[in-house]
Amino acid sequence: MNDVICISDLRRMFAEAAKKIRQDQAILSQLDCIGGDGDHGTTMVRAMKQLEDAMKDENAKPLNARLKDAGWSVLGVDGGASSAILGSFIAGMGDAEMGQESDCGRLAASLTAGLEALRKQTRAIPGDKTMMDAFVPAVQAFAAAANSGESIANAMEYAAEAARRGADATKDMIAKYGRARFLGEKTRGSPDAGATSVALLFAGFSAALMQEKEA
Amino acid sequence: MRMKKFINDPKNLVPELLEGFTLAFSDKVRLNGTNTVVRATPKPAGKVRLVTLGGSGHEPGLSGFVGSGMLDVSVAGEIFAAPGAVKCIEAIRDACAGGESTLLIVLNHAGDVLAGNIAMQAVEREGLKVRMLLTEEDISGPQGDRRGLVGCVAVYKVAGAAAEKGASLDACVEVAQRMANNMRTLAVAVRTATHPATGQPIFELGDDEMEVGMGQHGESGTGRMQLKSADETAEIMLDKLLQDLRVTEGEELLVLLNGAGATTLMELYLVFRRVAHLLTAKRIRLVRSAIGEFITTQEQAGFQMMIARMDRELIELWDAPAQAPFFAKP
Repeated sequence: MNDVICISDLRRMFAEAAKKIRQDQAILSQLDCIGGDGDHGTTMVRAMKQLEDAMKDENAKPLNARLKDAGWSVLGVDGGASSAILGSFIAGMGDAEMGQESDCGRLAASLTAGLEALRKQTRAIPGDKTMMDAFVPAVQAFAAAANSGESIANAMEYAAEAARRGADATKDMIAKYGRARFLGEKTRGSPDAGATSVALLFAGFSAALMQEKEA
Repeated sequence: MRMKKFINDPKNLVPELLEGFTLAFSDKVRLNGTNTVVRATPKPAGKVRLVTLGGSGHEPGLSGFVGSGMLDVSVAGEIFAAPGAVKCIEAIRDACAGGESTLLIVLNHAGDVLAGNIAMQAVEREGLKVRMLLTEEDISGPQGDRRGLVGCVAVYKVAGAAAEKGASLDACVEVAQRMANNMRTLAVAVRTATHPATGQPIFELGDDEMEVGMGQHGESGTGRMQLKSADETAEIMLDKLLQDLRVTEGEELLVLLNGAGATTLMELYLVFRRVAHLLTAKRIRLVRSAIGEFITTQEQAGFQMMIARMDRELIELWDAPAQAPFFAKP
């Protein structure tokens, strides 16, 4: 079996991720009421629509260029920190060469490039109760799985699990970064809205690739 | 409690408010593309441009300070959310279109700083001459990690005056940084606001409580206490500010009180009266003052108190002519 992804896979990955975030929009906004101003769900739905639409474009650009365009389309909408982080991650994924088809190793390099781009933009690290609590373990899990020869679908499943665990773990954390950091103890007890969104993003990616595997 | 606001479709809040704002002050400002406010008459060619960015819902901030003697461009985001980086990049490109250099002034909030950083990386790659300055004067945070509150207005004012006089980018940055280094702000809230797009209250506060150290978006601080009188509140806040800025006898201060949206001028004058008396008693000179609504948070009740150590040049720049819709000096 030739284990690669192409543009149609990326389309389905972003469509599935957008669907999951739409489904949980109200929960995401509710979580954001604790540390933010209660609009995270709305912001993420808007940003995911940009990504989904950008992937729908019919053109022959390589996958990395598609990701770069999609990321910058998110940076073009107003959405505060979460849009900037999401856009930077997706645009950053485009820093790694992928061609028209990408195998597991190239996708791992792309996700790692996305994470590197984030690290240039934010000083937040896992433990700060931010989107990084899900991004970092997800990308690391994918890279580790790719390294040990797993399929793309399996690697993404591990990434989704790692993102979910990372997001769940934010429940017991105190926010140390961004707007919520001034709330201290008040932020303990519920997961970070941004990290939860990132877990949904990877869950969507994984679900799309699983469907493909089963099909 | 159900939200009671005169709005249309919550999705169109920002374009509608900016359209209204620019129509109301069409002699001073106009819209340039989506949600970017520029001067109606551009600054003469060759002079340094001042650009700022930030979320909406804080009117008259930040676009109310676009005008001669102050800002050239304000890039507005969604309600309480930073604008997209692409819009900021385009705004800076436009500002530099005649070969001018730009000072980008950003209030220290995660989303605004991200947008600013992404924009800076892009415009620097294009070879544009741009410097970014962060305002971070809210003393409720630890040193090195403080929010930018109403102090940005003073930075716009002095850097704007310098730019108008034809100062170089370096000179504008120097004066802006000096203002930023010498100012401190503390906020207090007594009642929350509702988010105009979600209809949800942005924080909870008991009927008999006030909170010192409130952020610009209603994010709570840690100084929750029994509601106090105007005099007592003024004293608590001024003492913290003077201590943080290490103000000593004989120094000259600017004091600015910024109503959060639902606190009356009556209350602000009561607070200001006490501040003035306390400064006199401490032999600190109150040389300039400003009272009103500069950066609000919807119908939140409370205010921000900003103090700044002034020198001769800063006073001169503060006094220089300005004609922005919400900040004018003859």
